[in-house]
Amino acid sequence: MFLNHLITLSAVTVDKPTGFLGALATGAEDFIKVFNKGGSVLLSLMGGILPTLIVLLTAVNALVRIIGAERIENLGKAASRPGIQWYPVRYIILPFVAVFVLTNPMAYTMGRFLPERFKPAFYDSAVSFVHPILGIFPHANPGELFVYLGIATGIKELGYGLGDLAIRYLLVGLVVIFIRGIVTERITARMMAKSERSA
Amino acid sequence: MEGFTALIVKIGRGVGGVVGTLYQAGRDSVDTVIRNVIPFMAFISFIIGLILTTGVGDWIAKGLKGSASSLPGLLLISIVCAIPLLSPLLGPGAVIAQIVGTLLGVEIGKGNIPAQYSLPALFAINPQVGCDFIPVGLALGEAEPETVEIGVPAVLFSRVITGPLSVVIAYFASFGLYHTSK
Repeated sequence: MFLNHLITLSAVTVDKPTGFLGALATGAEDFIKVFNKGGSVLLSLMGGILPTLIVLLTAVNALVRIIGAERIENLGKAASRPGIQWYPVRYIILPFVAVFVLTNPMAYTMGRFLPERFKPAFYDSAVSFVHPILGIFPHANPGELFVYLGIATGIKELGYGLGDLAIRYLLVGLVVIFIRGIVTERITARMMAKSERSA
Repeated sequence: MEGFTALIVKIGRGVGGVVGTLYQAGRDSVDTVIRNVIPFMAFISFIIGLILTTGVGDWIAKGLKGSASSLPGLLLISIVCAIPLLSPLLGPGAVIAQIVGTLLGVEIGKGNIPAQYSLPALFAINPQVGCDFIPVGLALGEAEPETVEIGVPAVLFSRVITGPLSVVIAYFASFGLYHTSK
């Protein structure tokens, strides 16, 4: 008897609310829908990425502590040498190691080992690498993760693997910071020469 | 006996040091995640929710689809981001790059932008990286004030060249990326 009653109840559908109150009700539903969707996105982000990120951050942070930031100082000294063979050290290896070990923003302190004329170029090179590194080593700049992750989420949605994108982003990043270092070094040299002449 | 005690002390110290380092590393990473990562995730989730449920998404999709799924369009984005007057304004916290990246990600996920454009897009949205931070970054590198004076415009001008160039390099490097064999 009770069951029958339930069945008849469930067969009844509520009309879509009309009029002023109805409009309000629809508005309220649409309003909360935005946050429900946002909430489910947040949950998927936190469930999917955070656990891995925390473990990875812990491992790399420990590694960096064990290596010790002071050990990379010798590299900074080597990178300050003139000559064409030191260009890759100054604008590829040094920025990579500095960003990996010291992370954003302390990586730029490695500039202190370089002569003044290389400093802007090194900064340009290092700062341009704080995002390409994120695909594989997110510990370097976790506050700005979404430069990479925003686009990577779309790729993930399509069901593709992220490894290919992450490694290409890193490698192209290395090429770009190398070019950027050289171009900025040239521009700096030209501007310094000009200001010396006018002084 | 004394040597044995010394050994035990040594081992104890060593183990304690390693455990302490790992524990501190864990504390640091959880701290970073709570302070920097989760707040941004909350913010991004709100924006994605807004895009997906309201009509804003279609509007943005129309705007982005044309520019983000061709090389000239991506070049245009990168040139705008690299304009020396704009780049320091677009730089802070990489917020603009993160929002635009997320918008593009949503469109890539929906299939409106081909997946292989993800790589050049990553460079197109980011020629302004660190342009707001040049004086501070140079000061961290203990640069003289004269170097800062020259360094700021030098980096900004360099971006005008290297920003679009990075998009071109990334475009050619994206061949074969997420290639669907149909």
